[in-house]
Amino acid sequence: MAEELNVRYYKPRDEFKLDVTDIENFVYDMSRCIKCKGCTWVEHTYMPGAKFMTRCPSATIYEFDAYGAYGKMRIGHAMAEGLLDWNEKALEVMYACTLCGACDVGCKRNLDLEIGLTLESLRVKAVQDGVGPMPAHKKLAANIEKKHNFYGAAHKDRKGWLTEETQPARKADIVYFVGCNASYKNQEIARSTAKIIQAAGDDFMLLPNEWCCGNTLFSVGLYDEAKALAERNVEAMRKTGARTLLTSCAEGYRMWKVDYPKLLDIATEDLGFEVIHLVEYAGDRIANGALKTTRPFETRMTYHDSCSLSRLSEPWTPYEGKRGWMGCVEPRLKRRRGKNGVYFPPRDILKGIPGVNLVEMPRMRENAFCCGAGRGTKEAFPDFARRAANHRLEEVREIGAETLVAACPWCKSHFSEVTGENGDAIQVLDIAEVICASLDASA
Amino acid sequence: MISKEVYRILESIVGPEYVSDDPVICEGYRSGPGGYENGLGYERVMTLVPGCVIMPRTTEEVQRIVKVCYRRDIPYVPYSTGFYGPRSHPHVEDALLIDLKRMNDFVLDEKHFYVEVGPGMVYSPIQEECMNHGAYVVIGGGGAQASAIANLIGDGWSPLSHRIGLPHRRILGTEVVMPDGELLRLGSLATDDDPFWGESPGPDLRGLLRGYTGLRGCLGIVTRMAIKTLPFQPERLEPTGVSPDTALALPQNRVKWINFTVPSKEAQVKAMREIGHAEIAGAVTKVPLFWRAIAKAECKEEFWDIWGQETEESIANFFIVRVLLIGFTSEEQMAYDEKVLMDIMEPLGGIARRTKPSDESWIKNADSAGMWLMCGGYVSLDYVIETLTQSIEHGPTYADLKKKYTPPLMPDYGDPGWFQSFELGHQGYSEFLIYWDPDDDTDPVDRFYVDTSKMNIKNRFYTSLLGPHQPLYLTGPKYGPNYHEFLLKVKDEFDPKWMSHPPVPLAHDVFVERAPWMHAMKDWESPDDLPK
Repeated sequence: MAEELNVRYYKPRDEFKLDVTDIENFVYDMSRCIKCKGCTWVEHTYMPGAKFMTRCPSATIYEFDAYGAYGKMRIGHAMAEGLLDWNEKALEVMYACTLCGACDVGCKRNLDLEIGLTLESLRVKAVQDGVGPMPAHKKLAANIEKKHNFYGAAHKDRKGWLTEETQPARKADIVYFVGCNASYKNQEIARSTAKIIQAAGDDFMLLPNEWCCGNTLFSVGLYDEAKALAERNVEAMRKTGARTLLTSCAEGYRMWKVDYPKLLDIATEDLGFEVIHLVEYAGDRIANGALKTTRPFETRMTYHDSCSLSRLSEPWTPYEGKRGWMGCVEPRLKRRRGKNGVYFPPRDILKGIPGVNLVEMPRMRENAFCCGAGRGTKEAFPDFARRAANHRLEEVREIGAETLVAACPWCKSHFSEVTGENGDAIQVLDIAEVICASLDASA
Repeated sequence: MISKEVYRILESIVGPEYVSDDPVICEGYRSGPGGYENGLGYERVMTLVPGCVIMPRTTEEVQRIVKVCYRRDIPYVPYSTGFYGPRSHPHVEDALLIDLKRMNDFVLDEKHFYVEVGPGMVYSPIQEECMNHGAYVVIGGGGAQASAIANLIGDGWSPLSHRIGLPHRRILGTEVVMPDGELLRLGSLATDDDPFWGESPGPDLRGLLRGYTGLRGCLGIVTRMAIKTLPFQPERLEPTGVSPDTALALPQNRVKWINFTVPSKEAQVKAMREIGHAEIAGAVTKVPLFWRAIAKAECKEEFWDIWGQETEESIANFFIVRVLLIGFTSEEQMAYDEKVLMDIMEPLGGIARRTKPSDESWIKNADSAGMWLMCGGYVSLDYVIETLTQSIEHGPTYADLKKKYTPPLMPDYGDPGWFQSFELGHQGYSEFLIYWDPDDDTDPVDRFYVDTSKMNIKNRFYTSLLGPHQPLYLTGPKYGPNYHEFLLKVKDEFDPKWMSHPPVPLAHDVFVERAPWMHAMKDWESPDDLPK
């Protein structure tokens, strides 16, 4: 066998790294796409029927093959080979995409190609080539640079959500990273989160001077700007000495847990602190009896998996290696396939609340259809984002849910806006609000 | 290049948002570099990015598009999912690619056991809808992601074909836009709008449409088809697990896989024939042995660890029969079938092995996409439908030929491929798959392709490799003896201007002419006026 192995692995090996700043690292992945469209269809085992067959918002709304990951791989490959240049359409193809990760988990069921990283890398390339990001993204980047928040609001108002009953401690083991949306727009989420932590008997503190997490910067390819924020925020967190960073925002969760380590070329476990989402915290505290969600909430409810909490949330480990015969890599690569996303804690929490009749949408967990807002999409392509949200809301209507719950303020904002425009009688809530409302008032 | 005038006409047919000649949009429709048969010479030499792409929604729109093309001499290619590799992509400059994915209408007639679909509808949703209404269909080996229409007019079989039968028997009323844009309605659709019958009062052209393994759109575009479904059992097959580890949990009282090992190939064949003779089981199959390694491996590297343990001896002495029992009518019926099965297997030395109570592939999800995992290059090169006993000769002959081309083909230690019963044992099916690393020199793979045909001709194996799949002037005279003349006359009659996916069915002949590394193999006659 040893002799055969030598024959088998005779090929010179190409070095590569999971580094999104160089598209050359992903030429292999782009060249091996087979157009099975596993990136686009709901995984066939879970295919719900002749409605809701797809999980890729871009391919579903725009329909031309170019907008599916299989098209983007071909376009990206042609660009990397110098056969195709950027034009207006190419920018639309690359940026009218929520980077929701549906394609990545789909491909990793079949082929283990790094589709998600390739799409991130193509956006970095767009910036490197001087054509990206989109104009709306540049405005956001200016907001973040000048005011340290997504909206361009006054930095001094960032703690405007705090009330007398939700005051942070000066020192605590938990840092609550609030994020731009809950700080400025959906402040009820921040207040609910604070109340939940306090109800569980824990203290929390805030970062002394919280800035934007940089999700949009990273997502649109502004790598250097995002890296600067990562360095600044991680350093600030380390200085607090706290052991846990808690977010109530799925995008912020992914940034801290996955993309900061990616930007800093370290493993998630080397951050020096643990990153958790509110649902993980609450699930744990409910299990150990510290939190009691006993107040009834009578509703037919459905849960929307926010992409960054679910399929995109597995920890990051840097990788550098060689690829040889048949594409085999050395050292072995522990691939992030989305299997260990945070799918079950939010469902367990909601099912445990008296009166909640939790019904699943046809597309759930790793097959969920993104709300359409994420990662710079809504700002540059608002019509696409609206159509994607409406497509998801069709599912909510299909199952007759009265309440739609997400675990991300960005999903809540987007769904609330679209249901408001439609006049839909669907209540949109964040899971922090639901947990808070169900807490035992006597406790 | 499509003129602005024609472009405006196309826009007026489908709306401006559904037609594009932007180079980026067109690049999204490139066949390769990865995928079925991609990376090989045929893809590199014969395929091009389309000049323009259009996405019709209705049969009427398809007719109007095709008529414009026919009047203006614009070559066009129908395209459903694009999974079938280079043979479903443009072969000539400035072709119009007609992407049919928006034509995904679906109607289920529960009472009469059929579904009616457009070419954009793929298999897994059809199966889910059918199973929710007490019926089932075959998920073709092409995969759950394959267009049901494209698959049924090409291949369309799977292990479930043991009971469901061959695909052409399930094609009912069908609507075809002919190469010049005229509408042809087959079966009972010829007289009214009811697609229930496949047979028509006039000529039944389903055989022409399908041939043996399809003509890749060179005889028109199927825009609507009714597909026969068959009664299934009533209990739900529940999806379980999180991707990538998902499966259908089987209700063991009504659906069950059992894997048997048997002592010899002869016992394997006899078991399949007797199971068919007893008219039990939903599937009886033996898949390539490296698929078992794929199923066990967590990643491609681990696949090679597992597969690397095999030897020619271990492969030559491993015989498995995988049987799917279905209690179509009752639990008692399945219990009875299981007793009959055990009565058949015991005297043959069959030993029932531990089998997972779930289905990862075939009932709802044919995992064809995972076939690329371990090598990156793959094509299913030869499939043969004959008697069960022919496989005893064909398999080893093919394995010997394969050895000559390994490397670049993947080391498979003589694995004789996929083999199973069709139509309750009245037919035997063999399929041979080849795998390679696309970064290797793949010219020998191109030669192996044609050499397979020569082997089949020499040994008089009745093969699938006819029509557009191989040089028509090599295979046609040997399978007819005028198969090629007949097919070309049909093509000339239906498509005198050769606008529908040119130069199919002569594309492989053209490839051999164009590819210098193929010239040494050409020992057959062909006319001088092949399209260049």
